[in-house]
Amino acid sequence: MQRGVLKPTVYAFVATAVLGALIVLGSRNLAHFDAALVAYTFAILFATFGLTYRYVMWLQRPPTRLYWRRGWRLLFARGLRLRRLGRGVRRVAADMVANRFIFKRGRVRGLTHLCIMWGTLLAAAITFPLVFGWLHFAPVPGDLSLYRVVVFGFPTFTFPIESLGAFILFHGLVWASFLVIIGVMLAMRRRMREGGAATLQRFAEDFLPLFLLFAVSVTGLMLTASYTWMKGAGYDFIAILHAITVIATFLWLPFGKLFHIFQRPAQLGVGLYKDLGHDGPHAACRRCGAAFTSLAHVHDLIAVTAELGYDYRVEDPAAPAIAALGATTPPAVEHYQWICPPCRRASLALAQGRLWAGVRGGDTLAVAAHPPSARPPTPRYANPGRAEGPLGDEDAHNFHP
Amino acid sequence: MAVASDLHFYVDAARCIGCNACVQACSECDSHKGQSMIQLDLIDALRSPQTAPVVCMHCDSPTCAEVCPADAIKRTEDGVVLSARKPRCIACNNCVLACPFGVPKMNTEMGLMMKCDMCYDRTSVGKKPMCASVCPSQALFYGTREEIERLRPRSQAIQTFRFGRQTITTRVRMLVPREAPARLSVTDGFGDPGIGHEVDEDVFTNIFVGRESA
Amino acid sequence: MPVPDPENLALLARFGPHRAYERDRREAPGADEHLVKTHCCFCGQQCGIQLKVRDDAVVGFEPWYDFPFNKGKLCPKGIKRYLQNQHPDRLVRAYAKDASAREGFRALAYDEAITRVAAEITRIQTRFGRDAFAVLSGASLTTEKTYLMGKFAHMALRTANIDYNGRLCMVSAGAGNKKAFGVDRGANPWDDLLGAEVIFIAGANIAECAPITTDYVWQARERGARIIVVDPRLTPLARTADLFLPVKPGRDVALFNGIVHLMIANDWVDRAFIEEHTVGFDALTAHVAEWTPAHTAEVTGIAEPLIRQAAELWGRAKTSFLMHARGIEHHSHGVQNVLGAINMVLASGRIGREFCGYATITGQANGQGGREHGQKCDQLPGGRDLANPEHRAYIAGVWGIAPEELPQPGVDAYEIFRKVDQGEIRGLLSICFNPLVSLPDNNFIRAMLEKLEFYVAIDFFMSETARYADVVLPGSLHEEDEGTVTQVEGRVIKINKAVPCPGEARQDWVIIQDIARALGRERGLTFASPEAIFDELRVASRGGVCDYSAITYAKIEQQYGVFWPCPDTGPDGEPTPGHRGTVRLFEPGSWNPIARGAGPFYFPDGKARFNLSQYSPPREEVDGDYPIILTTGRVVSHFLSGNQTRRIGPLVDHCPEPRVEVHPRLAEHLGVIDGDWVRVSSRRGECTVQASVVRTIRPDTVFIPYHWAGRKSVNQLTIAAQDPISKIPEYKVCAVKLEKAAAPADRADLEPQQ
Repeated sequence: MQRGVLKPTVYAFVATAVLGALIVLGSRNLAHFDAALVAYTFAILFATFGLTYRYVMWLQRPPTRLYWRRGWRLLFARGLRLRRLGRGVRRVAADMVANRFIFKRGRVRGLTHLCIMWGTLLAAAITFPLVFGWLHFAPVPGDLSLYRVVVFGFPTFTFPIESLGAFILFHGLVWASFLVIIGVMLAMRRRMREGGAATLQRFAEDFLPLFLLFAVSVTGLMLTASYTWMKGAGYDFIAILHAITVIATFLWLPFGKLFHIFQRPAQLGVGLYKDLGHDGPHAACRRCGAAFTSLAHVHDLIAVTAELGYDYRVEDPAAPAIAALGATTPPAVEHYQWICPPCRRASLALAQGRLWAGVRGGDTLAVAAHPPSARPPTPRYANPGRAEGPLGDEDAHNFHP
Repeated sequence: MAVASDLHFYVDAARCIGCNACVQACSECDSHKGQSMIQLDLIDALRSPQTAPVVCMHCDSPTCAEVCPADAIKRTEDGVVLSARKPRCIACNNCVLACPFGVPKMNTEMGLMMKCDMCYDRTSVGKKPMCASVCPSQALFYGTREEIERLRPRSQAIQTFRFGRQTITTRVRMLVPREAPARLSVTDGFGDPGIGHEVDEDVFTNIFVGRESA
Repeated sequence: MPVPDPENLALLARFGPHRAYERDRREAPGADEHLVKTHCCFCGQQCGIQLKVRDDAVVGFEPWYDFPFNKGKLCPKGIKRYLQNQHPDRLVRAYAKDASAREGFRALAYDEAITRVAAEITRIQTRFGRDAFAVLSGASLTTEKTYLMGKFAHMALRTANIDYNGRLCMVSAGAGNKKAFGVDRGANPWDDLLGAEVIFIAGANIAECAPITTDYVWQARERGARIIVVDPRLTPLARTADLFLPVKPGRDVALFNGIVHLMIANDWVDRAFIEEHTVGFDALTAHVAEWTPAHTAEVTGIAEPLIRQAAELWGRAKTSFLMHARGIEHHSHGVQNVLGAINMVLASGRIGREFCGYATITGQANGQGGREHGQKCDQLPGGRDLANPEHRAYIAGVWGIAPEELPQPGVDAYEIFRKVDQGEIRGLLSICFNPLVSLPDNNFIRAMLEKLEFYVAIDFFMSETARYADVVLPGSLHEEDEGTVTQVEGRVIKINKAVPCPGEARQDWVIIQDIARALGRERGLTFASPEAIFDELRVASRGGVCDYSAITYAKIEQQYGVFWPCPDTGPDGEPTPGHRGTVRLFEPGSWNPIARGAGPFYFPDGKARFNLSQYSPPREEVDGDYPIILTTGRVVSHFLSGNQTRRIGPLVDHCPEPRVEVHPRLAEHLGVIDGDWVRVSSRRGECTVQASVVRTIRPDTVFIPYHWAGRKSVNQLTIAAQDPISKIPEYKVCAVKLEKAAAPADRADLEPQQ
């Protein structure tokens, strides 16, 4: 077995075993484990294996590994200033909790994602502990009007059965399913009506997760309906149906779109990396001289592209040319990564244009037009309008922290 | 649905007049959601009106996708490198900084990289991309090899680019003179002053004479 | 009567210009969309476009690949033009001036507005005479509307004073063409560019003002064409030209005379053609004798070797195409410039054949059609003359009136305002015209608008000029009506209706007929549709120079446009209803109603005329006080007075403000760097804008685009000097001085597009 596969396999086994052990431990040797939910448990264990395998596999990719390491190192670096921490908290609140960045794409899209996200998170928070036997409600001996919440085998607080709080608590999954159904409907509406979405979407990637979430929610609601209003009619059948949909969703989790739930937190590490890059030393473009990103980012990308098998080193045919422009001490370009994106685009056009010199008209402009020691200017967007030219501050300032 | 294999995107940047038609049309493509993804730069506004129109070249081995930590950039089977997948993109800028052609744009607010996808919603159903449809100078052209050979008898289409030691081959083709080498070294453009005309000052009567003290 | 403050913020808040964006309104597209084939509403090239329509709203566009002129290509204006539909500034009611309202206007019912307009017209004409009420029309209207405007003025109002805003645009070319060829139409289809050995482009920034022509030029180069560009600025197309001649503004005719001089001296002329088809070559030879290369170089500011190279390139070519536009036409000697260019063409003998062409690039949407059918001050339909008794008799017959009932020729658009000053004109109706932005020395225009007793404007947005109107009538947008226009090549094409007029807005031809009815003079103005107007126009044009008689809407659709002349009667009087139109003018052996077979040109002898193209300096020369030449023009993202494009968000974002282009050498002298504020002033006004320091302009010249209004309007500075023949104003040259300045204090209140 190759090392590339061995490592994730080992991690996956370990993670699955740890979860299994926790289930045994948390349910007090399966004393509180509901045997009826065993299928769910195994589905989750399988998903854990799959997710860990894929996650570790993913982390082995050079760019990911780099961010992973940088992220953790930065998080625990000494001198982590309060300001940076504050920024991090705000970022979590805005992007993770409130999905601000999705609202920027459209209000309805933001709402859609918010509903689905919080619906599924709520449902998971309720069901996982129940399924693992980590949480159960025990009647309080001597007072039949009260329930006691038992977590991980430890009794905690009690609450009256016939209360609004109890109603809300016991129907938590109903509320979760409402959220999910609303979100799925909105998402389906968009996918079916929008011309642009129609050609880019794929069934397995974009529709299957929606169908699964919808099926889970509807069958779950049917269970509630069955025991609340229909005296349990068809309960067993619905229960099996529900189990099938839930298990299918778990089994699909490591493979499909929903894997982004686990990838997404990497954004926080990236945010930290950007913040530090912004505050730290910058890299200057070796054509125009403008700062375009952090020094660390250029060094990291040089390492990453090399590891990926690219060789963007430049054996400086350009140095004399830049020297000819009058730069007093032209830095060797050394590596193409030292050229800012606008200069890359300009160089492409200039390289193509010079081939046409003498073939199609126009003269090669005089070099003397640049005063001595000046570099070519940073090319700028022909259209300064937002959304037409730059799409955001980073493009507009040509600085990508 | 796929992009027909005999239809190609051709770029002749030297034709560009910087009119912005491509930029304005790009944001009209249904899947682009009002965001323009083509890159159009004024190379050196002081000296010349020369502009550089850059679409995604759709590399055979896209550096942007390889450096993406989130695996968000996919290349379709018909060779089109798509914009970042929204659920995955974490706005790290790796692609923006690594793309040798300088193509990806960063939508800071949405936390999302967006790039030219050759109007995949159009090209995958047989239509022309927006920018090449409208381009008044036809610096951007979309069509068959036969068409381009008939329309541009002085040009050859190349797909190989050098960036220092690295060779990149692309789906999109660039038009260079027939007699030019079949691969373009982009680093040759670093110090090139560009093509234009000087507004020759020597022939003018000196308009500033006698007013220097004014 | 009190006049609304043009920078009244309440007025701006109500009527704009506001910026419309796609993302404000595009929700998920539905399945009920359909496409309407039509043309762009902006420049004279009239690119084919398909408008995407949903629920009676234009929501986008799709390229129209089949239309032969542009094959789907569009410039930024065409791409974003759909945003003018459903615009928040759209006038959907009639308005009357009301000093008590904060906005300066109050809405009133359409019928009431029409009644009021009719009453005022009657009052003014009764009291001061028929000519005291003037009409200003536009060259962006469909040909049907321009015909109707002429008929309305000449037959219903019976005023001599009707003119149009093509007066600011194509008239020098028109006058020059008539003097040299006897007919006023671009002589060739653009396909003739595709085999020309040399393309000579004078005073035309094709990349920004006629972008779609760029591909024709490049395709010609693929076949080996060489390009010569004459312009004081290094335009984008000039950048890659084979020869770039940075002419000093206002000296074009000197260059053309110098080139003809060299052509004659080197015998690069077509003696056989000159002998057989032209008149006046000997006089021209004598006339250009003084234009030696040295003298030409001295006057034009172009290096002598460049002039010699240009003459040789042009002189030795086997095929060629000469194009010019406003750059040589907007002068107090604009017609002479045009005649000079035509002399180059006639001396070469390269016209009337494949790949041998000449054309002016029309600016306005219907720049060609709008100058043919009777809305010019001296004109009747079919390119006929109002002063010609035969022509008067023919049109009077078509209209069912006595020839004496037709007024005599009136005065040009600028002269109309001078007559307001003199008290001769008291009332004005304008449509499709924003003179406060587009006429030179517009502080004078502002005073005249204030002086008018009654002014009614028909417009779809509250233009800067309409803000001075007593009554504003809500007219129709391009996509709300149908009709024909004639584009740059002379191709008659069809505009199709995509959506209905909103609210109380009406199609322009309906409004004009409603006014005529309210006046009690509706005779001859009761058309039921644009096609009915077109059918009468065909009859009215029959036998004229601009003969449309065999053109039908159906034929236009079948053939993707029909080139006029397209007569329904042959040389011997035989009916030719199947005539397919005339793609190229002046072909050997061709027949026209003037020469009647004597030759290809539109004179009785069938021969073209060489005219002695006289050089004279611009009206206002630079001097110690005003040492710099100001020249004006357009940018790609705006159109004319900006009444439409300054309301389209993405276009404003691309080019939010006018800037003054200054050469670094001049900038250094002024102590100005890129982005600094500069006060540019002339003897007539001043304007403070930011500097754009570029090496692509002559050091003695500065350039400011004119699309903006109010204090950003460069036409506060330009001079009202006019060509004595064409009456075109001299937008391209006046004397100014520049000073470094602070940002104007009032700007904070204004949006970029205001």
